[in-house]
Amino acid sequence: MSVVGECIVAFIFGSVVGLLVQRSRFCNTAALRDAMLFSTYRNTKALLVAMMILTFGFTLFITFGEGKTMHFDVGLNTFAGLFIFGVGMVLAGACTVSTWVKAGEGNIGAVWALIFTFVGMFLFSLVWSANYWPPAPVSMTGEPNLEALQLGYANAATLQEKFGIPAIVFGLMQVAVLYAIYRAILRKEAIQAGHHRDVAKSHEAAAAE
Amino acid sequence: MEFFKKTLDPVIALMAIAVLDIFLFLIVGAWTVGGGETMMTGLIAEVFMGDDLKRLPFWNLVFVPDAGYWKIYISLGMLFGAFVGAKLSNEFYLRFPRRMSEWLMITIGGLLMGVGIRLAFVCNVSTFFGLTPEMNLGGYLAISGIVAGAWVGSFIYKKILEG
Repeated sequence: MSVVGECIVAFIFGSVVGLLVQRSRFCNTAALRDAMLFSTYRNTKALLVAMMILTFGFTLFITFGEGKTMHFDVGLNTFAGLFIFGVGMVLAGACTVSTWVKAGEGNIGAVWALIFTFVGMFLFSLVWSANYWPPAPVSMTGEPNLEALQLGYANAATLQEKFGIPAIVFGLMQVAVLYAIYRAILRKEAIQAGHHRDVAKSHEAAAAE
Repeated sequence: MEFFKKTLDPVIALMAIAVLDIFLFLIVGAWTVGGGETMMTGLIAEVFMGDDLKRLPFWNLVFVPDAGYWKIYISLGMLFGAFVGAKLSNEFYLRFPRRMSEWLMITIGGLLMGVGIRLAFVCNVSTFFGLTPEMNLGGYLAISGIVAGAWVGSFIYKKILEG
């Protein structure tokens, strides 16, 4: 596909996502934060359902060698980076998606968060340019390189190659795990609803007396 | 239109997004945001610094500024789509953070997000909607990281709210 074609496809995809996220008020930050702080799971459930569909779809196509998987090595920097990101997104009250969506709704705080995300990226590029560590091309060879804290590259396609088992089998296992988490949330919600009913009943009884 | 009056169930919205993401995965690659933002950072820096930017290895080796990078347009699309959605639903209006502490939290949060994305080479979108569904090893590392980070962040957030 031509460069212009790719950009048009990306823009159309982004526009539909922006519209759907705006209308549903989905927020990735809330999916994690609300579950931890308030035990509410409106966004967490949506995130899990999307991940189940994606795991099934991606691994199905990977089985037949289709799809453009992301190719880069991972290491401890992946964990550390997302840890820093996780703290940041809760403080900013928005993640990479919601900053764009809220900016589109006229939220100046989100625009501000976006500007400082750019600043943070630029500052990191200065640090990286000074020492090239850890995700430097020389340490990212596709193989584990423990000295550089790099663990190499592995995904459903490499699993299929290594074990000769279709990628979809691994995918279905992951879907089952995600579904188990989803079921656990539903059970927890049912208990919460039961508790709310009991409290409401006792209030009614107290009012009647 | 009914669509612009009621709030859409996020499960339905995310199911639709997931199906579209599968198509995107087949055509150009799974949904990510951090990469496009990095490229925008490079393009903005280029406006200010010109050729001096090329002297920094990061902008020479890893992200050579290129306006034809498709991931940029996902982000611009999200901005556009959200604007259209908000306008048609009469939900568009300018909102400013009120207190100084909010401005400060957003500033620090934004900086941490930027640094985190570049250190990890992934953002939260590629973690949940790309890497993990591809069963990439990085997805599991990234999820553990973001859950731990969100937990610490929530703890700080709660402290600030209570204080």
